[in-house]
Amino acid sequence: MADPPTYSGTGAGPDRGAPGGAPRWVKVFGIIAITLVVVTVVLHLTGNSPGGH
Amino acid sequence: MTMAPGLRRFALAAHVASSVGWLGSVLAFLALSVAGLTSQDTQTVRSAYLAAELITWSVIVPLSLASLLTGLVQSLGTTWGLFRHYWVLVKLLLTVPATVVLLVHTRPIGRLARAVEHTTLSDGDLTWPRTQLVIAPVAALVVLLVTTALAIYKPGGLTRYGQRRRRTYR
Repeated sequence: MADPPTYSGTGAGPDRGAPGGAPRWVKVFGIIAITLVVVTVVLHLTGNSPGGH
Repeated sequence: MTMAPGLRRFALAAHVASSVGWLGSVLAFLALSVAGLTSQDTQTVRSAYLAAELITWSVIVPLSLASLLTGLVQSLGTTWGLFRHYWVLVKLLLTVPATVVLLVHTRPIGRLARAVEHTTLSDGDLTWPRTQLVIAPVAALVVLLVTTALAIYKPGGLTRYGQRRRRTYR
């Protein structure tokens, strides 16, 4: 975490948020996360689970 | 509820220390698990898994819980909030599963530690759990480096809740 937002319009702060939908970086993160979760589930279902259970 | 500046600084220091400590201890765990998987010396293998179990329970698990807890305090005790900014939310969504996965993986760690206590592992023994104890900390390091980067760069973006709240308090 970090210092609270300054609302100054420069650097880190909520004013940089694009109105409307999620920013592109969030969508990219989501796609990567879903892919990794699917890969992990498939590995577990095919028997390559933690400790072999 | 917003914390006073002095308390906020203290909470921030606690969060940074526990998060960076978690990252460092996972790196140490990775060194031990690689030694356990690749070493030809039975004493090294035995020591590696016993030490891996020790640092898991005495360092990694406490630091992961401390990092999660201090992160929650930081977000809820400042104007960042927990659900207002995507970078805070994504950090939370990475940290909570990482902590759960860590707790799940204490089982194979314990199983390997019990195995080396009573027997001598040779090359082909328990290959998958030993390999898994290399893969898991690598994945954890990626997650922890991403959360560190998010905390430093703070990419922009308000959630719908954050946008509503901002309009309300403007």
